Amino acid sequence: MELKQTALYAQHLELGGKMVPFAGFSMPVQYKQGALKEYHCVRGGDGCGLFDISHMGQVRVSGADALSFLQYVTTNDVSQLVDGQVQYAALLDDNAGFIDDITVYRINGQHYYLCINAANVEKDVTHLTKHAANFDVQVNDESQKTALLAVQGVDAQKLLQDICDHDLEKISYYHFAKVKLLGQDVLVSRTGYTGEDGFELYLPNSDAVAVWTSLIESGATAIGLAARDMLRTEMGYALYGHEIHAAITPVESALMWICKPTKGHFIGRDALLQRKEKGKKWHKIALKLNGRGVPREHYAVFAGEEEVGKVTSGLFSPLAGGGVALVYVKPEYKDADLSIDIRGRKISTQRTTTPFVRSRVKK
Amino acid sequence: MSIPNDLKYTKEHEWLRLEGDIATFGVSEHAQEALGDIVFVELPELETELDAGAAIAVVESVKAVSDVYVPVAGEVIETNEELETEPELINSDPYGRGWIAKMKVSTDVDTSTLMDATAYQALLNQ
Repeated sequence: MELKQTALYAQHLELGGKMVPFAGFSMPVQYKQGALKEYHCVRGGDGCGLFDISHMGQVRVSGADALSFLQYVTTNDVSQLVDGQVQYAALLDDNAGFIDDITVYRINGQHYYLCINAANVEKDVTHLTKHAANFDVQVNDESQKTALLAVQGVDAQKLLQDICDHDLEKISYYHFAKVKLLGQDVLVSRTGYTGEDGFELYLPNSDAVAVWTSLIESGATAIGLAARDMLRTEMGYALYGHEIHAAITPVESALMWICKPTKGHFIGRDALLQRKEKGKKWHKIALKLNGRGVPREHYAVFAGEEEVGKVTSGLFSPLAGGGVALVYVKPEYKDADLSIDIRGRKISTQRTTTPFVRSRVKK
Repeated sequence: MSIPNDLKYTKEHEWLRLEGDIATFGVSEHAQEALGDIVFVELPELETELDAGAAIAVVESVKAVSDVYVPVAGEVIETNEELETEPELINSDPYGRGWIAKMKVSTDVDTSTLMDATAYQALLNQ
């Protein structure tokens, strides 16, 4: 299958982007200076990073039943949102397994905007469209025509403010506004996937190059997928396909906080409550290696000689000063002394908590 | 791309410097660039006897895990312990401070399967 390109493909090549296939797109895994420097640009406490995440999908949901439809298909309580607010939520299947994790933007009571994972666009849109048949609602997949940029790091607001007509200080965490950037219409939210203060910008493909170029020229550093994954893993944020997937429910993934069974019926609710009552199949924990090494996805986790779990995401964390991992273990072993098998050597670990390093999101 | 003339190379992108019966080796400029930022190096145990082509070390970058193979048979006599705290030396100075290990090899060690700089350059050009 031919890989898709975002509107910024030429910009990535120009900056020395090393392009790799990712969720059907050709995306930069890193740029010329390398993933570690990029990571430090975002985490380092000065400057900021600019991410092309246009591979992600966007779905517009509108109509008289928009709210009741979203209450039915998502786990969170969409009725709690006010205009201009964003909510993290899940789409579950009938078994309470994850179809996707998403963010829901309330434009008004009859008009919402969803941001969904790149790899799940087709699946999500099919699922949403199927259930929309029972509601007075339109589901429009706008993924192809929409570019999405993230600006993250302490200087994000300052850089963005220079080209924005709206006082960004007024946009609080998990809120958004429709603003003009360089005179063009952009939806800006104070959201992100890095644990740093920053914004995500939804704009038409045709405006992406101008905004990207302007931010690069004013000092933002382009950040590839590798550094993005380091930043999100350090925060302990779930990534679809790793911490969450069809065989995992919010009970296992510690995401019950985005599920509101009291709001009424939603897809997966019954199975979710059942799973909660019967007990989780896996327990999600965070581990730090005592010895040297880098824990990686799929590495086995041991209690003594018994394999009791798997690493779902891991990395060498510069700030945590070593190897850290997100891990699923059998619940009865969650407090055991655990080791991670790295190429046949069992490296001892200690339990820790996420985020692995301090978050600087502006709550 | 730097390919020093006084070294021998493997098709897996290791380099080897032979001085008498001591062989020093590491990974090439091309290898470090392909791997990206190196964050961890697993060094071999001293006094390990290895055949040519055996996996001797592991180099991990942010995104990838890569084995390093010994270009020639011999016994590990020294490892670059600096790499334990500064694995990035492989990125910044692959042929110098980024060396991985030294081996004692027999004086008639067979290097006929290795490439010289010209042949290695030709491989990279392919």
